[in-house]
Amino acid sequence: MVNNYLDLVAHFGIGGAHPGGFSLTKSILEDETIQPVEAVLDVGCGTGQTAAFLAQRFGCQVTAIDNHPVMVMKAKERFEINGSSVLVIAGDAQNLDLLDNSFDLLIAESVIAFTDISKTLYELSRVLKSGGRMIMIEMAAEQPLPEELRKKACSLYGIKEIPNEDEWKLKIQQAGFTHIETIDTSSEFIHSEITDINPSEIVNMDLYDLWDEHNRFITQNYDFIGFRAFRCRLP
Amino acid sequence: MSQSDFYNLCCRYHGKNVRITCRDGRVHTGEITRTSRNMVWIRPTGSLGGYGYGFGGYGGYGRFGVGIALGAIAGIVLASAFFW
Repeated sequence: MVNNYLDLVAHFGIGGAHPGGFSLTKSILEDETIQPVEAVLDVGCGTGQTAAFLAQRFGCQVTAIDNHPVMVMKAKERFEINGSSVLVIAGDAQNLDLLDNSFDLLIAESVIAFTDISKTLYELSRVLKSGGRMIMIEMAAEQPLPEELRKKACSLYGIKEIPNEDEWKLKIQQAGFTHIETIDTSSEFIHSEITDINPSEIVNMDLYDLWDEHNRFITQNYDFIGFRAFRCRLP
Repeated sequence: MSQSDFYNLCCRYHGKNVRITCRDGRVHTGEITRTSRNMVWIRPTGSLGGYGYGFGGYGGYGRFGVGIALGAIAGIVLASAFFW
């Protein structure tokens, strides 16, 4: 799978690369009760900032999985350096090499939108224990997207669709989750300061061009494409 | 990346807040005010969003802020960004 946008995030090694950044992650997780005995899966862990935080803050059993080899390498590097006992696995969210009913909590931060959404949601419901919770932060359409804009977004980010809030909720529900709520993040749509970065030794200049293109796109289209954070669980 | 890559990046990000990592591991954050073939100058910002660390008037740094040799730079990125 070639995805230039994910290459950009991977090669620059940007932590907290999701809407709201790491500060939103922390504010959401601080509201969760996570026990040390609980098994937590960070799907699409990127360079592992959230997974490291989970392990350190809650002492829970964290598994981190990502599909991008550069992300996996940088996540491993992070956990080695700070001594986190996080298990890192290379793998595809749509087809996880994990047992059924094996996690108490799943976290996906701007990951599912980059996959076949329904397929991934079903897969996540498979590995989550009955009664387990899931938190996700994903891009969402704020209003019907003009066809031109939808195409541009899909090609720029290598995605297939951008659901709105209700469409997300329906997909989550269809995958078997209940108690689906939107987490209030209204004030969080801001540029985050980049403080967690681990660039590859050689970053192709094309990726700087792509970063500029992405910047132009989000600046022009924030009325159309935003994000939502959801909390849900399995019955 | 070569010195000319960094030169081009500094020109590209002129007037923007950037995060420059030097080969010795030091990190400088600030707005690029001037770029020459060998140096870049940034006006330091302690933190984005107006908190500042009290560089009162930048008097100690001269008109363009702090000069950094392009040869000492390991990486330049925008200091703040939005990512999906």
